[in-house]
Amino acid sequence: MSAIGSMITKSDVVPLAPMRRPLADSRLTFVSTAGVQPIGTLPFDVVHPVGDYTFRRVPSSATPADLEIHQLKYPTDGAHRDLNVIFPIERLQELARENVVGGLTQDFFSFIGYNMDPDLLERTLAEDLARAVADEQADLALLAPA
Amino acid sequence: MSLAHLRDALTAGDNETLIRYVRLHVGDGDEVAGRREIDKAWVQALTVLLDLPDVDRAFVLETLRTRDHATLAHLFFSLHFHLVQQSGEWIHDGDL
Repeated sequence: MSAIGSMITKSDVVPLAPMRRPLADSRLTFVSTAGVQPIGTLPFDVVHPVGDYTFRRVPSSATPADLEIHQLKYPTDGAHRDLNVIFPIERLQELARENVVGGLTQDFFSFIGYNMDPDLLERTLAEDLARAVADEQADLALLAPA
Repeated sequence: MSLAHLRDALTAGDNETLIRYVRLHVGDGDEVAGRREIDKAWVQALTVLLDLPDVDRAFVLETLRTRDHATLAHLFFSLHFHLVQQSGEWIHDGDL
């Protein structure tokens, strides 16, 4: 059940996937709704009234200077001072260097959270992202909403 | 407000629900702010035209003549946000 006009109509429970290997042997990917993207890529469509259903690949070797933010729905002052507060790419690079995790996927993934059609989101963006993460042979994914 | 709800409103001719959604979108979830933002964009557009500066009407007419409805509708939303940014009074938390 959902309230009139609500986007939320699903009651499905998504089962957790058990880890198949120790963290130190696992390849980690990162999926974020922060709207972070490499400079020079097509900016996320933040003005569209129904949202943006695309994602951007963010090289896991990127530096904050290589990246920019396109979104309208959360304060970005802190992120402009230190991108890691919303998109902790340097912290994840440190975890890989220190062998806390086995490694990072070549790319991380980013999109914006303003998507007004949850069915379209599930059919397109979620499927595309899941395929991309699987192609990167990720053992585990860190998911971070903005 | 879900997309299904908006489609139902469109079918029912419930324009008040549709414009309310627009106000919420451009006002970051605040309908009163959204109404002010729409006004702000129009005031900004009028302001820059008051002194009759040269405009590239050929570009405007060509764009309107050659682009599809969806692109033009998107341009309308894009111009709204562009104009409110140009006004110097930016209420949104993030960046275009």
